[in-house]
Amino acid sequence: MRKLNRVLLTGLLLALALTLALPTTAQGPKGGIILEASFGGDPATFNPLLCTETGCARLIGLMMPGTIGVDPEIAAPARVGENPRVRGALVKDWQISEDGTVYTLTFRDDYFWTDGTPVTAFDYKFAWDAIVSGQTDTNLGYVQDVIASVEAPDATTAVVTLHEPDCNALLYIGYIQVIPSHLFSNDFTQFNDNPWNFEPTVTAGPFTFGQMRSGELVSLLANPNYVDAELGYVNSEGFIYKNVPDATVMVEQFLAGEVNLLDSPAVNRRSDIRAAAETGAVQVYAYPGNAWDYMTYNLANPANPQPGLDENGNEIVQEPHPIFGDVRVRQALAHAVDLEAIIDGAVFGEGTAMASTVIPASWAFDETLEPYPYDPAKATEMLAEAGWVDTDNDGVLEAQGALYAEDGTEFRFTLYTNEGNTRRAAVGTIIQDELSQIGVAVDFQTIDWNTMLDIMYAQTYDAIILGWRQGYPDDPDFTQIFSIQSDVPGSGDNTGSYHNQRVVDLMREARRVPGCGLEDRAAIYAEYQRIVKEDQPYMFLYAIDGMYAASSKVEGWNPYPSNMFWNVDAWSVMP
Amino acid sequence: MVKYTIRRLIQALPTLFGITILSYLLMTAAPGGPVAALTFGQRITPQEREAMAARLGVNDPWPVQYLRWLLGDDWMRWDSDGDGVSDGSFLIPLDADGDGEPEPPGTRLGIIRGDFGTSFYARRPVLQVIVERIPATLELGLASLLVGLIVGVPIGIIAAVRRGGLFDNFTRIMAVIFNAVPIFWLGLILILIFGSMLGVLPMGSRCAPTLIGDCPPIYARLNYLLLPMLVLSTGGIAGYSRYMRTAMLDVIGQDYIRTAKAKGLRPRQVWFGHAARNALIPLATFLGPAITGLLGGAAITETIFSWPGLGRLAVAAVVQQDYPVVMAVVIMTSIATILGYLLSDILYAWIDPRIRFD
Repeated sequence: MRKLNRVLLTGLLLALALTLALPTTAQGPKGGIILEASFGGDPATFNPLLCTETGCARLIGLMMPGTIGVDPEIAAPARVGENPRVRGALVKDWQISEDGTVYTLTFRDDYFWTDGTPVTAFDYKFAWDAIVSGQTDTNLGYVQDVIASVEAPDATTAVVTLHEPDCNALLYIGYIQVIPSHLFSNDFTQFNDNPWNFEPTVTAGPFTFGQMRSGELVSLLANPNYVDAELGYVNSEGFIYKNVPDATVMVEQFLAGEVNLLDSPAVNRRSDIRAAAETGAVQVYAYPGNAWDYMTYNLANPANPQPGLDENGNEIVQEPHPIFGDVRVRQALAHAVDLEAIIDGAVFGEGTAMASTVIPASWAFDETLEPYPYDPAKATEMLAEAGWVDTDNDGVLEAQGALYAEDGTEFRFTLYTNEGNTRRAAVGTIIQDELSQIGVAVDFQTIDWNTMLDIMYAQTYDAIILGWRQGYPDDPDFTQIFSIQSDVPGSGDNTGSYHNQRVVDLMREARRVPGCGLEDRAAIYAEYQRIVKEDQPYMFLYAIDGMYAASSKVEGWNPYPSNMFWNVDAWSVMP
Repeated sequence: MVKYTIRRLIQALPTLFGITILSYLLMTAAPGGPVAALTFGQRITPQEREAMAARLGVNDPWPVQYLRWLLGDDWMRWDSDGDGVSDGSFLIPLDADGDGEPEPPGTRLGIIRGDFGTSFYARRPVLQVIVERIPATLELGLASLLVGLIVGVPIGIIAAVRRGGLFDNFTRIMAVIFNAVPIFWLGLILILIFGSMLGVLPMGSRCAPTLIGDCPPIYARLNYLLLPMLVLSTGGIAGYSRYMRTAMLDVIGQDYIRTAKAKGLRPRQVWFGHAARNALIPLATFLGPAITGLLGGAAITETIFSWPGLGRLAVAAVVQQDYPVVMAVVIMTSIATILGYLLSDILYAWIDPRIRFD
């Protein structure tokens, strides 16, 4: 009888244990593979200090921790633990010295590389040393414009000293990402060729490295020890970044379920994706985008490109462009181009007109600043005032008392864009057509990308259609592009030779506002935007609306404009 | 034959040398440059761009760059006293980036010594980057070549036998259409029909995406090969069928065919046993370019079908001005061309007793 009781008791205990165990099993990872289509080729590296393209940036973001947390909802730096959206970052707190030049970062002590080594402030210091060593191929040298030094007195503390107070300091501190320093030599001689750069077997994010099949895919596996997982575990089996180099095929693969995630699908196929969303087959998230197109003018004489400064740092007075050197002409052209027609024709309505370099999605965007209205009659009038009239009735304007062009010079210019970009080709065609209606002859040419870069950097062009992409959180600073120091034929980014000291001063001022309040800074950027709109170094066109799309099988998908992957650890994919 | 082959190979060396010089000259003369291609849109100062150009050696005159690629640069900049600092240089400056410090000694050995260099973009050894793509390239190329021959040759023979008939006219029209249709269009249409609408074939890639492990053996993933192979073989089918038809018609007029008929052989024996066998001989000359085509890849087809072949890599390398990769592809395709034509000649002499090695 006693034996029977013991058997019964054991049976009961087993049943209880099974009952308790069952829900636990049911709450485990749901699994599935996240499959994103990628347009570019193989990532060149997985080292965050060497990465320069979107492919490696995407994969590094899924495998490596960030330094400073970002709240995806407001796209601004935030302390880990401040709210559940801030995750995957190492710095849990920071203190700023009274003079605003010293940031003391407190690192978490619960973050480990997948080989069990703790992620520490020493890793951060190592990354900084790699950047300043001069031995590495990093493109992060620009952080030294803001940061003077980094010290790591202990494993959880890093002291970052700035040259001077800077409202973008946290952004710059965040640009420096940790790498597993214990896998690298301290003299950085083998830094660029370290095998970890190509096969990062040690990571610390929600995913670990799986494999790279050249020209096909990169796969990542769920990290079973990811410390910031919302559910306590990474919910999917892994992530595949599948190379699909044709934009049309990419959308077809998505609609057919061969991939289940898209970032910024081609604008001409978005209506198909929206139609699929209406049937419930896919999920779509549209937002004001951060990529924008413009037409840049060369304000200096393309026949005689000159640097902005001489060897002693003194300004060189450059010969102006015979047509675009006159700001009244640039303003007139802004009135002659119908931005809405361009947005409809080139990006299928998926865009927002811009009036300056600040995108509508930015915190610094001045909503009161409207683009110049489309008014061809006014454009003609303004051009006449600037000395451009059709004296011989041949349909093309001629200079008649223009500021820099000799009398009789026809209003003709060459406009380039890169071959293969149908969107910019459409923009160029529309601009050519609309300007022809006010007597401006545009020789529009689509040319090979490298040829265009050659012409652009050589500063031998009249005008070029190109685009920029802002980051998140948005840094509206344009000093790199508009400073006189960058006006260097052959290698500088100020290829249009736009010099306006007030613009540069304002950008500097906006980064040094006491307290760094966004409203105070936005007020300064508002003035900057007004000046840039009036100066028209670019003909500002549009920001392309952003779109993320996921199959309805992807559960937990909850993107913000700044980051689709902020909660990727909680996603799963239904079979 | 051995002597002939060795002589031809030796004769090919100057050709190969000339090809590399011309290719390097054209590549470096092209507008833009690796630094602009690699750094556009990045926050890089003009000084950093200059330093990068010096590091990559792309600021040197093209003959110096070529010599570095061919013979290496360990003899261009060296450390004679072993203190780790360069103290001598030839052809290139000791301090290329002008920072007051001599650059480190050269470590490149040049392709003569088996060093193809490091890709500017991928930052990995060029040979590794290229070798990764060769299996997929050969897979698609060989399959397309075989399909082209297996389908095109019989069509040509039948068209010649039924000259002027319905089949001949139909295949002629089809050959023109297949030759004229743009590959990217055909590829997209096939993807839309078989992948999107019918859902019976995958729309691209070499095999199903997996988290770990390589692609399974080819027989287990023929569905992935089918569409790109069809697209790539259309030109071959059209070309081989027309070529075969012409060759057959030439042969049909020969005396020995008349003799064969006079002997009372059955038409099938005449056409296939005598005419077709002899008409196939000139086709051997096609094998040279065909082999080159195999290794050169098919950039458009590979792009449409996300096929990880060498063609896509080569086009990307040209756009990125990745000189070491471009040159490696040039060397490889040049060697393949030379060997391909040599093989054609040998095959030709082997199967045609009238031709003798000289």
